[in-house]
Amino acid sequence: MESSATLPVQTKNASLAALLSLVVPGAGQIYADKLWRGITILVSAVVLAFLTNWGLDNGHIGEIELGGFTTSWLWFPLLLFVLWNVVDAHRVVGGESSPTWIGLVLAAIVLYYLAWNVTDIRPQRLITGFQDLHGILTELVHPDLITTDPATGATIPSDNFGDIFGRLVDTPAPGWMVSLGLAAPAQMIPTYKPGTLLETIAIGLLATLFSTIFAIPVSFFAAHNIMSRVPGGSIVYYIARTVLNVVRAVDPLIWGLIVIVWVGLGSFTGIIALTIHSVAALGKLYSEEIEHIDMGPVEAVTATGANLVQTIRYAVIPQIVPPFLAYTLLRWDINMRTATVVGFVGGGGIGFFVLQTIQKGLYNQYAAALWAVAVVIIIVDYISGTLSERIRKGETRIEETKPQPFYRSPRKLLLLALGLAGFYYCAYITKIDLRMLFEPAPTFANVVKAFITIDTEPIILNAVVKQMIITVFQALLATTLGALVAIPFSFLAARNLTGRSQLSIWIYYLARSLFDVLRSIEALLYVAIFVFWVGIGAFAGTLALAITSFALIGKLYADQIENIDMGPMEAITATGATRLQAIMYAILPQIVPPFVSYTIYQWDINVRMATIIGFAGGGGIGLLLNTYFGQLQYHRAGTIVAIIVIVVAAMDFASAKIREQMV
Amino acid sequence: MLQVEHLYKTYPNGTQALKDVSFEVKDGEFLAVIGLSGSGKSTLLRCINRLIEPTSGRIVWNDIDITATPASEMRKVRRQIGMIFQQFNLVKRSSVLTNVLSGRLGYVSPWQSLVNYFSAADKQRALANLEQVGLSEKAYVRADSLSGGQQQRVGIARALMQEPKLILADEPVASLDPVLAHSILKYLEQLNKERGITVLCSLHFLDLVHRYATKAIALKDGQLVFQGLPKEIDDAQFKAIYGQEAERVSIV
Repeated sequence: MESSATLPVQTKNASLAALLSLVVPGAGQIYADKLWRGITILVSAVVLAFLTNWGLDNGHIGEIELGGFTTSWLWFPLLLFVLWNVVDAHRVVGGESSPTWIGLVLAAIVLYYLAWNVTDIRPQRLITGFQDLHGILTELVHPDLITTDPATGATIPSDNFGDIFGRLVDTPAPGWMVSLGLAAPAQMIPTYKPGTLLETIAIGLLATLFSTIFAIPVSFFAAHNIMSRVPGGSIVYYIARTVLNVVRAVDPLIWGLIVIVWVGLGSFTGIIALTIHSVAALGKLYSEEIEHIDMGPVEAVTATGANLVQTIRYAVIPQIVPPFLAYTLLRWDINMRTATVVGFVGGGGIGFFVLQTIQKGLYNQYAAALWAVAVVIIIVDYISGTLSERIRKGETRIEETKPQPFYRSPRKLLLLALGLAGFYYCAYITKIDLRMLFEPAPTFANVVKAFITIDTEPIILNAVVKQMIITVFQALLATTLGALVAIPFSFLAARNLTGRSQLSIWIYYLARSLFDVLRSIEALLYVAIFVFWVGIGAFAGTLALAITSFALIGKLYADQIENIDMGPMEAITATGATRLQAIMYAILPQIVPPFVSYTIYQWDINVRMATIIGFAGGGGIGLLLNTYFGQLQYHRAGTIVAIIVIVVAAMDFASAKIREQMV
Repeated sequence: MLQVEHLYKTYPNGTQALKDVSFEVKDGEFLAVIGLSGSGKSTLLRCINRLIEPTSGRIVWNDIDITATPASEMRKVRRQIGMIFQQFNLVKRSSVLTNVLSGRLGYVSPWQSLVNYFSAADKQRALANLEQVGLSEKAYVRADSLSGGQQQRVGIARALMQEPKLILADEPVASLDPVLAHSILKYLEQLNKERGITVLCSLHFLDLVHRYATKAIALKDGQLVFQGLPKEIDDAQFKAIYGQEAERVSIV
């Protein structure tokens, strides 16, 4: 917020401001030049009033009888909110303001009461379903990976192990081995047949490669400082930014549902769906990086007489390659995670396998898949985190001598050959077939047409809005729950606070491992556990989202705590304060703003995740979307996707704006 | 000869950076541009190679009307005018040699430079220019591993790649300590005297002006308030340029 310590402006009338805010909440604040405060109040009031009214009409939420008149008690906190806003408007004119927390608490009462009822939270089910949970937890620690050979009695990998990690299968010798004389024609030789895990890895790798290739040119069109130098570029810039935001708002799994109609079931669909979403996500990050480059070299190179192409080549590209690489590595991490669930909609990889084990009720097989995913993702997370950190710090090799061209360096040639072989192998196991792109299913054109003729029938619209509200509230509750639990754990996972004793080092590693393991599995994969525990529906989905939020937020909090300035801690400890007091007064003021910022960011992410949690029985809009796709009602699916785009993009914008104010 | 006639520059936000500035610089001169921060020195230098578009007025250099040159032809004008910057403006992650070679971009075909192709002659020239500024052993290190003074010498080598007839230096020593300031200005003086390159250099310290410049102009609030020989800047002139409160400070 802008500082209030400005010149004594007495030209604005306090009573007028109060009156304005009474008529339209927030108007008085806008009149008093507190634009963002006013807009926030106005939007909050409108949204809360809409939700209260909607809750009363659609679920009798907060319904009370008042003198023979049916209404919602939620109108009372809202009324207080408006009164608070009127007082606030009166006071901001004088450079003061009402305590913000009062307004926040009033808004929170309304919001959380609605959220609690809409998402069907039933804490008692956590107890009544505990026996079921015990059963599934037993399976989780006994994954189906090994079995006993009935003939020899030896311990061998089980069938399920082979499904996940791959197995050796006798196949006829391939042509090249025969022609090289290594095998006789039709001789059976053991060949490695990849499992679903390797397929998942291949999907993640290829999607990252393709999205990087496409995102680079796209990002230049979405960079304002580049496009403003080209005639007509500003229009291109706005179009590019809008398209990126729309495409990014739709989860890769939803893209998967659309792409399936185009190229059919399978890994290739998963790759395309991930690529579409990643191009938009990377394109945005890349373009922001281009916009933040040092303009000095651009000026210098322009001054030598270089044209636009040369200026980009010599002054822009050298600056952006390292951050681009770092973003690509982080995107690889995200894509690998998404690749583990893209099978839920038929996009190949281990997700499809997991879905089958759940449907068959084979939870020890499900457990094996979960552990396999955890191991792979933890490794990927470690590699991508370490490498991108090194790139950011600029710890890349500095050659003091004249560099050799790559074709003279055996190491680089070897890496190139390995990369090409890896690419070929990935493309082979994911059965990439570019011809399929140009031979879409004959119905595809009609599907696209139906999809963009959005169904605006009131009945459909009401159903969609209801599910969207549930989805947003699921995300809100999951974020809140995750954040609340994450706070104590994050202090245990901060190395600078845990101390030096043997016990506290153990606690540190335990807390960090808990975050890392829980974080490595996507919320969609957790849903099955909670469905088993508390039953199918929004509550299960909310809990699954809460688990991943807990781990993600906890890690970010802990990293933030580790980055704080320990000077004040030292100073306050020196005054004789206890450890707890020192944390209260030296640490909390440094971490509360970033904590709030991360939490809002997580809510933003969770809204997008909550749109797909229904694919696994976790409630929310995903179930409806899946139903419409299943019934081939593409115009209604189009309605849902349109609503998702609007809500997710609005959340994205709001969260970015709020976080901007906090830093 | 460089002629600046009635030059005005008004920024979109309404700031009048230059108001009716006219002066002449003969070939081979070392012209110092002095004035307070924000007096329009940087804007003036950037108008000359049209990194900034002047609002009105004319700039004519050796019969080329720079202000009337279409944007597509500016490449040919700019490549004859070297420029040196206060913040050096090197691409920090590129090697020193690549930074120096980028001074040649105005002469080579855009498609060749896209794949980082420079002729052997250009590379020879780049190494020779690095030797001239005493940095030949640093050719393949990253630019950001050099000290500030070394980075500015790379900046000079980059300008020399253009084989310029005119060098614009925008506060080239403001980010450097006094000893390095002299070493950088000595390079510019050498280029001015030995190769006859005209130098337009904005400076902060008057004793540097006295020591290196052959002529000086002063700007105040975008207007030309002095034009003459450096030694003519007496106390009265000084106060007129820098304000009544100003006091002379000197540099080693």
